[in-house]
Amino acid sequence: MDLVDVLGRLAAKDAGGYQPGSPRATEPTALAALALLAHGREAEARPLLDWLASFQSGDGGIGIWNEQPTPGWPTGWAILAWTAAEQSAIADANDARARQRAIDYILSIKGSRIEWIEHSGHDTTIIGWPWVDGTHSWLEPTAMNVLALKHAGLGDHPRTREGVRLLQDRLLSTGGCNYGNTVVFRQQLKPQLEPTGLCLVALAGEPDASGRVAKSIDYLQRELTASTATISLCYGLLGLAAQGHPPAMADAWLTAACRRTLTRDPSTYKLALVALAALGTACPLIHMSAPLEQAT
Amino acid sequence: MTTSPSTERAQQQGQQFDRRAMLVASGVAAAGIIGLPLLHRALQMTAPVFVARHQRYDGPIEQTIRDGLLSTGFDPATIRGKTVLLKPNLVEPTRACPQMTTHPAVVVAAGEVFRRWGATVLVGEGPGHVRDTEMALIESGMQDALDSSDLEFDDLNYSQVGWQSNGGRKSSLKGFYFPRQVIEADLIVSMPKMKTHHWVGYTGSLKNLYGVIPGCKYGWPKNVLHHAGIPETVFDINASLPKTVAIVDGILAMEGDGPIMGSAKPMGLLVVGTNCTAVDATLGRIMGFEPAKVGYLQLAANRLGPVEERCIEQHGERWQSVASPFKIIDFPHLQELRAPGVLVT
Repeated sequence: MDLVDVLGRLAAKDAGGYQPGSPRATEPTALAALALLAHGREAEARPLLDWLASFQSGDGGIGIWNEQPTPGWPTGWAILAWTAAEQSAIADANDARARQRAIDYILSIKGSRIEWIEHSGHDTTIIGWPWVDGTHSWLEPTAMNVLALKHAGLGDHPRTREGVRLLQDRLLSTGGCNYGNTVVFRQQLKPQLEPTGLCLVALAGEPDASGRVAKSIDYLQRELTASTATISLCYGLLGLAAQGHPPAMADAWLTAACRRTLTRDPSTYKLALVALAALGTACPLIHMSAPLEQAT
Repeated sequence: MTTSPSTERAQQQGQQFDRRAMLVASGVAAAGIIGLPLLHRALQMTAPVFVARHQRYDGPIEQTIRDGLLSTGFDPATIRGKTVLLKPNLVEPTRACPQMTTHPAVVVAAGEVFRRWGATVLVGEGPGHVRDTEMALIESGMQDALDSSDLEFDDLNYSQVGWQSNGGRKSSLKGFYFPRQVIEADLIVSMPKMKTHHWVGYTGSLKNLYGVIPGCKYGWPKNVLHHAGIPETVFDINASLPKTVAIVDGILAMEGDGPIMGSAKPMGLLVVGTNCTAVDATLGRIMGFEPAKVGYLQLAANRLGPVEERCIEQHGERWQSVASPFKIIDFPHLQELRAPGVLVT
């Protein structure tokens, strides 16, 4: 895999969009910063980290891109990038301040509590994070924020623990998960690779009393191939790595995905995920050198 | 804030109906011979719907779509040099369930129809349940089809957005963030799969347009819309969009626990029309539903288009000749949507 090319593209001035040529957005920019930091190209991460801070709202949240300061669901990604920066040679007090404000923001956001809905298989009373403030808790924003809080030294915070409980509750009994529904009208829904991978990263180190994490690992091992779409492949591989089961073919699959991505859709979003997945268990989404001092 | 083209159109139609109503009312006053039922009827919208049977994905469906559009009053001159956005349903694709998503052959055929009429054609979708749109394209078979037909695809979940005021006002939402491609399109072609839907009965061309709402602003699923009410937001979105037409993939349909977990039901149908409400009402009749009982059609009736059977002009096959009631899951909120006398074994 041509990681030099990939990292060079992540460091380019016009990098940061969901699609090639699209405006810089929080999630791809934070992932690119994480990738550059983890691959030792710290100076090139600095402009991306500064951009994230420049875009932070008064309440500490960070929207999806410049013209759209809400919703603030990507804020967890920025926390992860700033946390990684604090453990690097380019640590900066501004990063720490921005990170603290962002943590305060995500701790202020809760999924709306709704009583048990008839025909729904998951526990609707567990509170995690919504995509959009004022709506229900969903799996991916909860996984993002659990991950951010754990890396920020808040793994024992009640919100983190409840978020973990939500993720465990939303795993399908046969393994894997989707956007966050399990059973509807007595029928179990289908799993999807990308949320399953992200969920397994967030649940790394958590006990698996239900056995659903093990079944989710089986699901990813069964489904991932060299032709899996790039984002799903990267999250799937990260999930397996986080759970201690990196596949032997991971590098070959990533090389194939990287080639396809560079040819068809060299977006920062996808290339950053490729660069992160290529790190395996050393990926900063899985492992940071040491937990920071508890932030709050 | 802008006023949506649909709203303007509805207002224009409303003005026409108002004038017609005035004439009728004048007649009533003058002659005293026309009763209230006739006045009521005069105020209702009408629209044609084209139904084609014996369709196959490897058959001449481009010709069928062209015939259907022309038959229902579509004027190709209106889109020459303009931009047409095709909106298939790719909600949560998987190769194991082809009855869930719009077949690529129908999208490619529709693309050819509009291209030959001189339009620039885009395909766009914001899958409702998956963030990895590349995966959705691969699993649905759409990626290969788009590549071979040189059709451009835009991921509406992550597009730049613009604000459009709510042209329907049945929900509490003041407006919608629509992707730039949706706002700029001269015509949006809703291309749903003919499917049951375990919350609202069935889904057609109106509900399919949930997929133009960007996930980055509304989430996966688009939970903001659910909180504001599904029937209400289906209506509001459609009332806020530019001009829409419908091409429904009913060749391999879905019954039972749709829109995701249902079973395949081969129907061999393509349903086409220039009024999405009329198309969806016709779909419902074919599937064994009573359209007037379906929430979003109740709201759309005579605001966005006709629902009553006598107000929908049948072109191609009569719906009665292709009707085949769809199985639905056994819950009261769905069973009560059944057309009277329909039994499904």
